[in-house]
Amino acid sequence: MSGVDTTAKLVRMINQIVRNLLHDKDPVGAVAGHVHAFWSPRMVQQLRAHGSDGLDPVAIAALERLGQDHGHAAG
Amino acid sequence: MTRTVRISNDALALACGADHVAAAFAAAGCVVERVSSWGMHWLEPLAEIAGEGFGPLTADDVAAVLAGTSALGIGAIAAHPFIARQQRFTFARAGQTRPLSLDDYAAHGGWAGLDAARRIGPDGVIGEVTRSGLRGRGGAGFPAGIKWTTVAKAPAARKYVVCNADEGDSATFADRMVMEGDPFGLIEGMAIAAHAVGAQMGYIYVRSEYPHAIATLRGALDLAAPIIAPFRIEVRVGAGSYVCGEETALLNSLEGRRGEVRAKPPLPAIEGLFGQPTVVNNVLTLAAVPWIMAHGSAAYAAVGYGRSRGTMPIQLAGNVRYGGLFEAGFGMTLGELVMEIGGGTASGRPVHAVQVGGPLGAYHTPADFHLPFDYESFAAADGLIGHAGITVFDDSADMSAQARFAMQFCAVESCGKCTPCRIGSTRGVEVIDRIRARSGRGADPVESLPQMHNARKGGRSLAEDITLLEDLCETMKFGSLCALGGFTPYPVLSALRNFPQDFGLPAAAAAE
Amino acid sequence: MGYEPQADFGTPAVTAQTRVSLLIDGRAISVPTGTTVMRAAALAGGSIPKLCATDTLKQFGSCRLCLVEIDGMRGTPASCTTLASEGMVVHTQTSRLEKLRRGVMELYISDHPLDCLTCSANNDCELQDTAAQVGLRDVRYGYQGDNHLGAAPDQSNPYFDFDPSKCIVCSRCVRACDEVQGTFALTIAGRGFESKVSAGVASDDFFSSECVSCGACVAACPTATLNEKAVTAIGKPERAVITTCAYCGVGCTFRAEMRGEQVVRMVPWKDGKANRGHSCVKGRFAWGYARHQDRITTPMIRNAITEPWREVSWDEAISFAASEFKRIAAQHGNNALGGIVSSRCTNEEGFLVQKLVRAGFGTNNVDTCARVCHSPTGYGLKNTFGTSAGTQDFDSVEACDVMLVIGANPTDGHPVFASRMKRRLRQGAKLIVIDPRRTDIVRSPHIEADYHLALRPGTNVAVLTALAHVIVTEGLVDEAFVRDRCDQDEFRDWAEFVADARHSPEFLAPVIGVAAQDLRGAARLFATGGNGAIYYGLGVTEHSQGSSTVMAIANLAMATGNIGRRGVGVNPLRGQNNVQGACDMGSFPHELSGYRHVSDPAARALFEAEWGVPIDPEPGLRIPNMLDAATDGLFKGIYIQGEDILQSDPDTRHVAAGLAAMECVIVQDLFLNETANYAHVFLPGSTFLEKSGTFTNAERRIQMVRKVMEPLNGFEDWQVTQALARAMGLDWNYTHAREIMDEIARLTPTFAGVSFARLDAEGSLQWPVNAAFPDGAPIMHVDGFVRGKGKFVVTDYVPTDERTGPRYPLLLTTGRILSQYNVGAQTRRTENARWHLEDVLEIHPSDAENRGLRDGDWVRLASRAGETTLRAQITDRVAPGVVYTTFHHPTTQANVVTTDNSDWATNCPEYKVTAVQVTPSNGPSQWQLDYDAQSDAARRITATAAE
Repeated sequence: MSGVDTTAKLVRMINQIVRNLLHDKDPVGAVAGHVHAFWSPRMVQQLRAHGSDGLDPVAIAALERLGQDHGHAAG
Repeated sequence: MTRTVRISNDALALACGADHVAAAFAAAGCVVERVSSWGMHWLEPLAEIAGEGFGPLTADDVAAVLAGTSALGIGAIAAHPFIARQQRFTFARAGQTRPLSLDDYAAHGGWAGLDAARRIGPDGVIGEVTRSGLRGRGGAGFPAGIKWTTVAKAPAARKYVVCNADEGDSATFADRMVMEGDPFGLIEGMAIAAHAVGAQMGYIYVRSEYPHAIATLRGALDLAAPIIAPFRIEVRVGAGSYVCGEETALLNSLEGRRGEVRAKPPLPAIEGLFGQPTVVNNVLTLAAVPWIMAHGSAAYAAVGYGRSRGTMPIQLAGNVRYGGLFEAGFGMTLGELVMEIGGGTASGRPVHAVQVGGPLGAYHTPADFHLPFDYESFAAADGLIGHAGITVFDDSADMSAQARFAMQFCAVESCGKCTPCRIGSTRGVEVIDRIRARSGRGADPVESLPQMHNARKGGRSLAEDITLLEDLCETMKFGSLCALGGFTPYPVLSALRNFPQDFGLPAAAAAE
Repeated sequence: MGYEPQADFGTPAVTAQTRVSLLIDGRAISVPTGTTVMRAAALAGGSIPKLCATDTLKQFGSCRLCLVEIDGMRGTPASCTTLASEGMVVHTQTSRLEKLRRGVMELYISDHPLDCLTCSANNDCELQDTAAQVGLRDVRYGYQGDNHLGAAPDQSNPYFDFDPSKCIVCSRCVRACDEVQGTFALTIAGRGFESKVSAGVASDDFFSSECVSCGACVAACPTATLNEKAVTAIGKPERAVITTCAYCGVGCTFRAEMRGEQVVRMVPWKDGKANRGHSCVKGRFAWGYARHQDRITTPMIRNAITEPWREVSWDEAISFAASEFKRIAAQHGNNALGGIVSSRCTNEEGFLVQKLVRAGFGTNNVDTCARVCHSPTGYGLKNTFGTSAGTQDFDSVEACDVMLVIGANPTDGHPVFASRMKRRLRQGAKLIVIDPRRTDIVRSPHIEADYHLALRPGTNVAVLTALAHVIVTEGLVDEAFVRDRCDQDEFRDWAEFVADARHSPEFLAPVIGVAAQDLRGAARLFATGGNGAIYYGLGVTEHSQGSSTVMAIANLAMATGNIGRRGVGVNPLRGQNNVQGACDMGSFPHELSGYRHVSDPAARALFEAEWGVPIDPEPGLRIPNMLDAATDGLFKGIYIQGEDILQSDPDTRHVAAGLAAMECVIVQDLFLNETANYAHVFLPGSTFLEKSGTFTNAERRIQMVRKVMEPLNGFEDWQVTQALARAMGLDWNYTHAREIMDEIARLTPTFAGVSFARLDAEGSLQWPVNAAFPDGAPIMHVDGFVRGKGKFVVTDYVPTDERTGPRYPLLLTTGRILSQYNVGAQTRRTENARWHLEDVLEIHPSDAENRGLRDGDWVRLASRAGETTLRAQITDRVAPGVVYTTFHHPTTQANVVTTDNSDWATNCPEYKVTAVQVTPSNGPSQWQLDYDAQSDAARRITATAAE
């Protein structure tokens, strides 16, 4: 079975991360930091290419903030 | 005026028909009080009317007793020589109180010991018990004060007092008489012990063969609960194994485990019931304590012989004319006890052997009648006083059969833990059987095989079997884990040494 | 090492502050107070005859051979039960003692078979040795007396026989079962001469009894009464090698007792610090797979998975694999390749695989099976404490007063450590179990949990928050600990969060499915009961909030001050033998060895200097991401060493699709596993018996794995990886695993002091081993947390997306069973299969009744991911609404049913919660049929070409 929509999966993953980091003082920063530390760039690119459809606002903001940073500072 | 008649409801009296006698007195319009037994077994059922005794009675004798025409009168009971020669501390109330009457108990000095104990505090109690010289009456004779001190000093949140009432020795009944006749005395003793060592809970481990004692104790515990509170006592019924009278096997049994002996150390005083510091004492030890507390250690210690202080409730049984319970200070000779108190054999034949200390005690001949009844004297004579049961045999007894019985008893009752007892007792029966058959043995089929190159082919003589039996007894005596296997050699070797002719040996071989 | 039994000092060692000096046969010796005379004599170099005593068991005093004479003491006390005291003068050899001992031995032999030369224990029998020692020359009783020589043997156990005719009733087996294993399966039945060892009740044999086949009784038996069947078949071993078990994360040390190249038996080594001489049915007996006929020893390749395999030479297989990977890299880029490090292989092998991926493939696409088990542990404990590992050594359990076991089934999953837990529980420690299922530790002989919180699957965080609520609102926080050791602001935020009324037990009870008073009681007990230790397993991590749960556990430990000393701590029970090691070795796509992020320039620089290649600073793909990328056509080649992702990973159909989409799958394994059905290259693997290296267990203990026999396939696994690396152009020249460890030590600060030489000398080391901890660290965070201040993390309960509903009204949770291991690749190929022939579905009687199911019926188990069929077992171990199964058998494929839900932080799959429906069935599902057909086709092997 190859009908897996991997982009939908990424949307689900980042929204799940958001829900679990909502209590952080800076949820956007926390989500951005987490994705930065654990996701391969290709996954981030795939999600960016998908756009904001279905994304939690915090996730959208986090992806934006990720884009602003150059490279990656260690988590 | 209606007359009050006292008749024992002790199990022995009941077995002799006390209930029928009591019913007959009641039918005749008397007030019948069921009391404890005086301990003169040959007189049961014994009725007491205004201090005068009549027995042994049947229902048919009642009319004559009431009419004053009975020939069974023994006069004032207290003045009967069997009673008068005694020094009754533990059994001071015997025959005189109704077992479950708190009033009777209090009227005869009950609770005075506990009151005193509470007054002087735990340390004071232990001091008194230590100074009294009281030793464990179960057989080992270990000083009670030292045991209590160990438990008192052991740091633990929970401690226990366990009463060993698994009275399994042949010819013994003193524990039973205490429990049936004076249960509050035992309860008071346990409460004092608990007070002294800081125990919250007590257990009385009673052999299942004592249904009357169990019922009486349960009734007494209900009545006494407020008096001994917050200390609590439960009765636990044994599972029918002789070895559960050994204290560590008893603890295993109480915990619901296999009734198997534990190696010591750890001593039960340090790690006993459920791993907690535990006083394990025999019924007679605990029942002696209230008297000591009420009358003082000096009064108790003033009686006795050598290092055996105080009194011992001696039990006379077997082929003896006057069987019963005889409490006296240590030191009377065996001869006095058997011949004067016991009156020799019931059969009238000569006394041949006397076994002292239950089934594991040595068989003595009248040559030992000079021995004072105390722990050390009997130990020095390769014997033991044990729980102070004395069984008398006349000259019709075959002592090799008695030796076989000892080994058989050990084999049947062995818990199976240690090798000398587990295998040795079975081999012992086999060897004694060969000796009794005077057969010796030839090489057996296995030994005869050519493959059994190292085995001796020539068979064994009777003398070699005797040596083997002696060696086995040495292995059991010094190798066994507990007294069951360790003491079985006493009856076997004493029978062999004192009655060689019963083993096919010349009488001359008696003394080595 | 030659073959000689490990020294036996008769009674266990004691630790004491003080010592006593005594004289034994004129020899002065000083021993710790509390030492027995027997042990003192043994320490002094003497040897008192004994049969019932052995230093793994408490003294018992039954054989009566060890009698001695002591000045001033009456009689002949048994030296095993007599404690040495100051100034004691002991005589162990006098003519009196000689006679007594001979007398006892004469009794033994009067009831024992005489044909020693043909006995399986000949020359390895304590009875025989002791008879010789005491000089028995004659059995005067003869041999015609009552005896037990006709007693029938019990051969029901697949691994050992019980021959009661040889039994001396020393009770060592019974005591081992009680004291060491804690199962209480054995007893002495009857009394006196009739006493005999009995398994279970009268109608039982060993196999039908409660016996768990741990082998403790066999190890304890001084005669051939309980003896390994293999010894009977093969004979006495001739040499022994100390090595480490390759099953679970406990890491038991064994003596592999060998005859030539043949293992005769594996005997637990008393000096093993993880197992302390104990073992379980897997490590002790289930090693037969190593020589199983299914083992593949010749490399195989094929161009497409629809083709049969072709056996080829190693050179051809390696060059085929290398050229395929080089082609893929050239066509699709480095990131189209990846690798999976095995948690079953050694640290050295794992390190090489990730090195090959990073340095050879040029990508960080490396992952390990910790992804699907304990990745949340790494994440959670690193976040809160600063180290991705458990805080304690196993010995610490001996000082524990309250155990909180959550999401772990230690008696099945970690049986040897479970026995140590049970021993402590029998000593009086309290027990709280949080598990939807009534696991065996909840109630077992002499143990009963004070609280069993049978929560609804998926509510771990809610439970831990409710417990924290009680601790905070009832003033049970260890204020001093928190003040000194933890970040105050974070603590205040957390305390405020958990204290909210919405987190009270009363409020959460309906969610959790546990009464509020039980939650309160458990919280109070844990906070006030003394040393509190938390033990957890995959029931914590394999959830959508696995990482949150780990952090909630850390919060709880910190709030109650239960960190940094013996008897406390956070103790993840690691699943696989080297899952800790695999993680330590840099097997995650975002980390280099020692848990340093790939974005850390200093860490990268170290590796770049040593390896001479650049390291990608960006994280690579995790296993599920690799599979996703494969279905998207972006990931083409994978090198999988020692893992069967098709069977072990969730949502089997998706795994299969991902693998099928790849162009080159290299599988290195012992057997043609399920994943190999989708492979193009099969490289034969070697077992732990055939290689050198190290494993790191759940307590961070690095232990030696020693080669006891030559690899059947010709190479240790690291050699195969090296060959592949060389074929891909890397100039690797390791000649022994120790050189790999030297490289690990150079590149990994926490391993700086580790070397094979030290491990050989010291037995084991617990990392970190470096300048700060020169001898390693049995307990971590003693003087302060590795990260500085302990970090409280707010863990909000977020219910899983996996909900029950009309279509899927039940919750499935999965686990494992004692006799089987993981996907069963090894254990199914041993006699262990007899205990667990198939996976079954546990279902509560009421759920079964609603569906018209009877015990043993075939049922269809369906989720939104897929369906399978298996047999139902009706039991109240599970609550109504919950069903349970294991995943040991490929024919069941429980993971067809599990979903692609995963932990938010690590993507660890949510194996423990799947909404399912159970219905009666009369045969296998279509997937099972299709899979069987595919599997049969994919396993075809054509005739071999000449070498």
